[in-house]
Amino acid sequence: MDSFYQQSTLRSNLSVVWNELVKNIKFLLAYPVIIVFWTIFPIFWHIPFILQGQALVGGLTSDSFAQATGTPNYIPFIVIGAVLNSYVSTLLNGMGDNIRRESLQGTLDYVLAAPCNKASVLVGKALSESISSTIFAISQFAISLLLFPISVSLGAMLPVFFIIILLILGLYGLSLVFAAFSLMYKQSHGFGQTVGYVFYIFSPVRYPVESLPFAAQIFGKLLPLTYAIIIVRSLMLLGADLSAVYMEVLALVIIDAILIVAGFLLFNYMEEKTKKTGEISHY
Amino acid sequence: MKIDKTDPRLREIKCATGFNWANLKAELRAIWAANIKDWKIELAYPVGFIRQLISPLVLLLPYLLYAFVLVGGRYSENLAQLVGNGDTFAFIFTGYMLMGFIGTAVWAMGFSIRRERWFGTLEAIYVTPTSRLSQVLGTALHSTIHQILGTVLQFVTIYFAFDLVLNIGGILPSLGIFALMMFALYGFGIVIAAISLILKEGWMVSDGLYSIMTILSPVAYPLTVLPSVFQQASNIIPTAPALVGMRSFLLPSYQPEAVTNVFLHLLVLGAVWILFGILVFHLTDGYVRKRGMLKKF
Repeated sequence: MDSFYQQSTLRSNLSVVWNELVKNIKFLLAYPVIIVFWTIFPIFWHIPFILQGQALVGGLTSDSFAQATGTPNYIPFIVIGAVLNSYVSTLLNGMGDNIRRESLQGTLDYVLAAPCNKASVLVGKALSESISSTIFAISQFAISLLLFPISVSLGAMLPVFFIIILLILGLYGLSLVFAAFSLMYKQSHGFGQTVGYVFYIFSPVRYPVESLPFAAQIFGKLLPLTYAIIIVRSLMLLGADLSAVYMEVLALVIIDAILIVAGFLLFNYMEEKTKKTGEISHY
Repeated sequence: MKIDKTDPRLREIKCATGFNWANLKAELRAIWAANIKDWKIELAYPVGFIRQLISPLVLLLPYLLYAFVLVGGRYSENLAQLVGNGDTFAFIFTGYMLMGFIGTAVWAMGFSIRRERWFGTLEAIYVTPTSRLSQVLGTALHSTIHQILGTVLQFVTIYFAFDLVLNIGGILPSLGIFALMMFALYGFGIVIAAISLILKEGWMVSDGLYSIMTILSPVAYPLTVLPSVFQQASNIIPTAPALVGMRSFLLPSYQPEAVTNVFLHLLVLGAVWILFGILVFHLTDGYVRKRGMLKKF
């Protein structure tokens, strides 16, 4: 009986994850313009940096850049950084916005009062955001390959995919924190924007982390995006394999574990608190 | 409740209509009230206010660090060949000062009416005897003052931290150019406000236009690195001639990449954008009220 019960619980949890995933994908497909927007416009955001490079060095390569980053080609450097950074903007705010949307649509109370594990709901939301973000990132990268003179080793795609999963897990730890704040304070967007600034400055999205002051470098090395960008650039631009960057991979795994545990604990705490105070039905 | 029109306590207030001094004063008061309202809302969230205030400074740093890594210092030989002045920090800084004001037009003005819809106060504002444009311009005034505060902070920090060499005497004519640019940007912002009245997902239009304006504005590169068709397109964006004009006054030995009469160019752009904006807004405003679209969001 026990084993039957456990199997049934597992199946029902998987069913919750699946239905949450399908619901969010249906929601996204209802607005095809949003899909077009996230596929194309993030490319526009890194074009100024490419044009800036052309104006300052007068070509597609820079010796000074090679000394600092290991590659003289600044365009693929920028494109890889920007595509990985696009996960930050979609995932960090995605979870908080998703919860907020449930609140605005008046369905949050029902979702949280449903007799199922809330972690399953969150995992479903996380999966749907991850799938859509990955489709957008792949599209942006493919369009960039067509538009700009970029040569990358495509043989590294499998380990890159693995690193992207690790990046997504780390960002989900953070977005759980935002979702928790969203339950209590309703507006997690400001908090998300502030953290977005932190990633923008301290991660090596557009310049190597070594070009920052020492204290800022230490702070940058606490962010999952920093390691993901360093690893992916090493694999795709410098032709390194995973064993050459195993320390960075290990650091990314540790940061992910800390963020996910902290995120779940905070979300559970905020959920209990908002239920007790009645804050949950306010919007 | 039935209103007794003979009640002596009721007095008739005549609303100012038409283009006259009394009406203009009334609209100016409405603009000021909308500005004050936006300040009160913003100052209710002090963390958000501080974040917005320092954002011009924070968002400039990646451009400077990237330039530093690209050329291995501050001086770019190639930039010097293109515009006569190779100080990358001075060039980028003088360009980035205006970036936030594009946000004023696209985001603050564009979403002034949309925000009222979110707050549930749009219909109340629509039935007041003032022009809807006063609401948009009040938000524009708030955003412009806010952006000026952030830009002053950015200017003081960067000027002293990096010891920039600028022609201080060029500040006054640059402010004249800035004023003309803002006039044209307000027209642009009114167009976006009109679009946001109709489109449910108007943020995408705003974000898209912001991205395009950023590329067409010579913020971190001279116009000459753009393909010629984009260089032509930049002529209708007020920030492009404004940046070339301001750099001519502020950067020593700067050779403008586009030779036009900046003041005249901006005057024409301002007049065209304002007239076009008012026309589009007027038409959209009538359309959404006729179709009963005000309640939808």
